[in-house]
Amino acid sequence: MFNKIAIAIAFSPRLQTLLAEAKRVQALFKSELIIIHVGSHTDKEDAFMMENLQQADITEDVKVIWEAGDPAKRILAVCKKERIDLLVAGALKKEDFINYYLGSIARKILRKADCSVLMLTEPSLESNPSKRMVIYAENSPYSIQAIKAGTYIGKTQHSQQLHIVREIKLYGLAMSVSSEKTEEELTEIRRNLVNEEILIVENILKKMDISGLKVNIKVISGKSGFELANFCNRTRADLLVVGSPNRKMGIFDRVFPHDLEYVFADLPCDLLIVNPKKKNG
Amino acid sequence: MDKLNHSEVINLLIQLCVMLSLGRLLAELARKFKQPAVVGEILAGIILGPTILGNFTPEIFEMLFPSTGASAVVLDGFIQVSVVLLLFIAGLEVDLHIVWQQGKQALYVSLVSLVIPFVAGFIVTWFFPELFDYADEDKRLVFAMFIGTVMSITALPVVARVLMDLEVFKTRMGMLIIASAMIIDLVGWIIFTIILNMMGTNSESLSLSKTIWISIGFTVLMLTIGKGLINKALPWINKRLAWPGGLLSLSLAFCFLGAAFTEYIGIHSIFGAFIIGVALGDSKHLSERAKEIIHQFINNIFAPLFFISIGLGINFIAAFNLQIILVLLVLAFIFKVLGATLGARMGGLPKYESYAVGFGMNTHGTLEVILGAIALQAGLITDEVLVAILVMVVVTIVASAPLMKYCLKFVSSKN
Repeated sequence: MFNKIAIAIAFSPRLQTLLAEAKRVQALFKSELIIIHVGSHTDKEDAFMMENLQQADITEDVKVIWEAGDPAKRILAVCKKERIDLLVAGALKKEDFINYYLGSIARKILRKADCSVLMLTEPSLESNPSKRMVIYAENSPYSIQAIKAGTYIGKTQHSQQLHIVREIKLYGLAMSVSSEKTEEELTEIRRNLVNEEILIVENILKKMDISGLKVNIKVISGKSGFELANFCNRTRADLLVVGSPNRKMGIFDRVFPHDLEYVFADLPCDLLIVNPKKKNG
Repeated sequence: MDKLNHSEVINLLIQLCVMLSLGRLLAELARKFKQPAVVGEILAGIILGPTILGNFTPEIFEMLFPSTGASAVVLDGFIQVSVVLLLFIAGLEVDLHIVWQQGKQALYVSLVSLVIPFVAGFIVTWFFPELFDYADEDKRLVFAMFIGTVMSITALPVVARVLMDLEVFKTRMGMLIIASAMIIDLVGWIIFTIILNMMGTNSESLSLSKTIWISIGFTVLMLTIGKGLINKALPWINKRLAWPGGLLSLSLAFCFLGAAFTEYIGIHSIFGAFIIGVALGDSKHLSERAKEIIHQFINNIFAPLFFISIGLGINFIAAFNLQIILVLLVLAFIFKVLGATLGARMGGLPKYESYAVGFGMNTHGTLEVILGAIALQAGLITDEVLVAILVMVVVTIVASAPLMKYCLKFVSSKN
């Protein structure tokens, strides 16, 4: 699924935990691993890196790329050049006001990456397989790939519960329908709307192997993204899988936040953005 | 404090009873013919007004709806509040996210379908005012702008219902129409606010440039800082106050405050109500359920009062002017459809889908009626023009679904 994985690291206290996660992700997808570090590259730092890699037991099949300059830009450039399928990085759950508008390294990566991104909020040394996963099957040209990736991870990690979330858009519904339908008709419309959404997901799942997975199809309504984040919090999800949006997000998306921006602003759990397009290289 | 006397109280209550019950009855009749309630409510107004009741039993009409006196003033107060509330729920439906999500395509459709009918309406009115039997030279510019605005607006709630009936609400085309109608709503009301200011009905009218800047400034402020404050207040309201009572009363209080503010600074109260609606409706903490309750309350109590009240002031037979009606219909069916179709084509939609967008966007409705009623009240238009607008609204509502369906037949057969 992801043949070439990169992990962006800094020499921070979270380095070992991130390397441990990278190793597990590499094993999960049986892929190549590239480590990207943006910062100065001296012998001392080289030695420090080697020491940490050895400590994390990442000594074979790994390539380390040293870069200098703007971290987000350099990381994304390496991903492009190396034709990376999945970029792994760490991120704080919530950003402060200034960082939210200026964009931290992690959020810049989320918004601008041309490849899939796995953003870890609480990387750990111990193996911590996803028990409760949420897949957002909406608003992205890659939502089917997101379901595919999510079900694959769910199966491999023996997840206890996999929620696939769809949204009902009720724009104009209240105004245009409710005053002109009987109670019975209105209930019927609502039921049909929900059933239609469930059917769409069921049809997608028919083409996939989901044996052994406990799948719950959930239809939500309300503010896109915000309700999704709420649902992740409510279900205590540890991984949210979404398809990449069809365009890159800018400052306007933060001023008028919507779907994924709500998720970016306050990451409810680890986040995997699936973006299989291969513009890189 | 002046108070209504015993008979005036009775009269007011009977007025409300008659208006709401006949409005409901005819809205139900409209429903049987798969038409929106507004069609029935306008018809109820025609029946209760000088056209029918006033014509056949003038003494009952005069007794029921006296044109002077305290109960007439109170009823007018109800109508004013109704308009403000209608604009408030129109604003609630504008979802900035869907607008932004649809991106360039929605921008093309909305701008072209706004500009072409606006320009066409403006040019025809400006160069041929006699087509509208319009003689007021001083107000010709404003009148031409008004007709252009009426032509360019799309009725979001009506078109949403049509899209749902045709089961294309969630398709790319459906969402495009919804997003475009939302943009048009926003821009249309800013234009109308400017027109109202240019009419100079308010004694404290602002200069044109001031109106434009204040309107845009108020919009931007409410959609950024205002929305941020709403986002902070709503969770507190939802958590601490009785639901939905707390939310309902404070939302409306906020709406009235915004309306009063814009009225105070010299731009019409409806603009404030609309923008407050947009800001509140865009909040992540306003649930669909809460929105629905607000809609139900306003749509079923205040909306009928307003739409019926239009018929109470006009004799539709006397003010029926076929020439003006035909001009408006031709403008709508040629230029509005052309503009929206062209916009959809520019946005990359296939031919027949673009036609469907064109006919969908040519759905006029409640906002045009409100616009017309306010313009009549301000003395900008005549009864004839308002009747023509009402006929145009009803015709476009009735025609949009079958015309869209016809175009979509080719789309599905091609697929």
